[in-house]
Amino acid sequence: MQSTEVISVNLWQMLISLLNLLILFLILKKFMYKPVKKTLAERQKLIDERFENAQKAQSDADSAKSEYESKLANADSEAADIIKAARAKAERKSEKIVSSAKSKADDILRQAQTDAELEKKKAEADIKNEITEVSSLLTEKLLGREINAADHRDFINSFIEKIGEEND
Amino acid sequence: MKSETKSRSKAFKAVDFLLLACAVIPYIFGIALYVLIKPPSSGIEITGAKILFTIDMPLQSLPITESQVNSWIVIVTIFFLCLYLTHGISAAQPTARQHLAEWIVEKTENLVKNNMGEFFDGFAPFVAAIMGLSAFSSLLTLVGLFPPTSDLNVVGGWAVLVFILITHYKMKCGLLHYIKSFGDPVPLLAPLNVISEIATPVSMAFRHYGNVLSGSVISVLVAVGLQGLSKIVLGKLPGFIGEFPLLQIGLPAVLSVYFDIFSGCLQAFIFAMLTMLYISTGFPSEDYRAKLMKKEKN
Repeated sequence: MQSTEVISVNLWQMLISLLNLLILFLILKKFMYKPVKKTLAERQKLIDERFENAQKAQSDADSAKSEYESKLANADSEAADIIKAARAKAERKSEKIVSSAKSKADDILRQAQTDAELEKKKAEADIKNEITEVSSLLTEKLLGREINAADHRDFINSFIEKIGEEND
Repeated sequence: MKSETKSRSKAFKAVDFLLLACAVIPYIFGIALYVLIKPPSSGIEITGAKILFTIDMPLQSLPITESQVNSWIVIVTIFFLCLYLTHGISAAQPTARQHLAEWIVEKTENLVKNNMGEFFDGFAPFVAAIMGLSAFSSLLTLVGLFPPTSDLNVVGGWAVLVFILITHYKMKCGLLHYIKSFGDPVPLLAPLNVISEIATPVSMAFRHYGNVLSGSVISVLVAVGLQGLSKIVLGKLPGFIGEFPLLQIGLPAVLSVYFDIFSGCLQAFIFAMLTMLYISTGFPSEDYRAKLMKKEKN
């Protein structure tokens, strides 16, 4: 088997080698760099999209949070207002109830007093009448004759009053 | 993600296996060819690539040698590796091999951007092609094949292509500008400038070729020398031990790590770096920008 010299120059071999390098360049460009760069670009796009989504979600969450916070603050003040109003209303109502109860009680008291007075007067009158009758009866028995109650009323009354004075 | 990987169909795995097999088969083919054409050993022999057959061409006949065949082996291997690395590529669920592919692409693009500037963005695959072809060619020695990079014609072809690119970008501002650039500081230096222009590809080719070839020459010399040494030292011993080249164990392996792996990769990197630097420094970027501005104004 023949061999080439260690240093030999052959133009055709050089051309073949040159074309080899060009072919390998095209192979690498087409089968390595093109798909890889395409995927890298796709991934970049994917990352950008995700980042955008995340940012959007973050801003959404932020706005929702501030909304809730403002709502919460509103609710607090509203609750305070409601409590205040309710307390005022309750106070008014209780005052009303107390005053009406007082007036009712006064009425009842007054009624009772007048009733009692009337009762007293009635009782006094009854007692007077009875005493008059009893005394007239006694007097009849004692004197043996009928006393005209009407005739002696003034006398009896003065008598009773005297008794009353002595009792006092 | 893991379940996704596991649920990959059998067809996908079959294609994977096929691609890997196609990347390995050329090597087996190359080794078989090497075994078939290997001449009976005849001592120390430092020659170029073995000629398989010769094609008659005008100007000069074209011998198809191991260099060409091994270059094609490398190209086919890299082609199928590319297909394997980008097989099932997806933006959402990157696999380990996809990371490797992305790493290669990003590294070379950054390298090109840092060394050549924005204008030469499209050069990344070219630089990667130089690195891949050179490194894989030099590493062929690991499986015992002839490294095409130790053939001057192979590296020379690359250097010629680089020279064409350099000249192409130098001529971006017009032929007249290109010719004028040779009389750069003083017109008196024009012959020297022409020589240095031609010396660029020549030096690139010889640097790469010389490094790889000298590596294998030194390896062969050391191996043969050690064989002789062990014959002298241990030759008196009877039987098998006397003929066994005991001293060959060790040092050749270390030399192989340096010359085959380290030097091979380093030369690939150097060739790629020089390509980038020569092309980008030769390009008259400011004049070109001025020319573009003028065009825009008109």
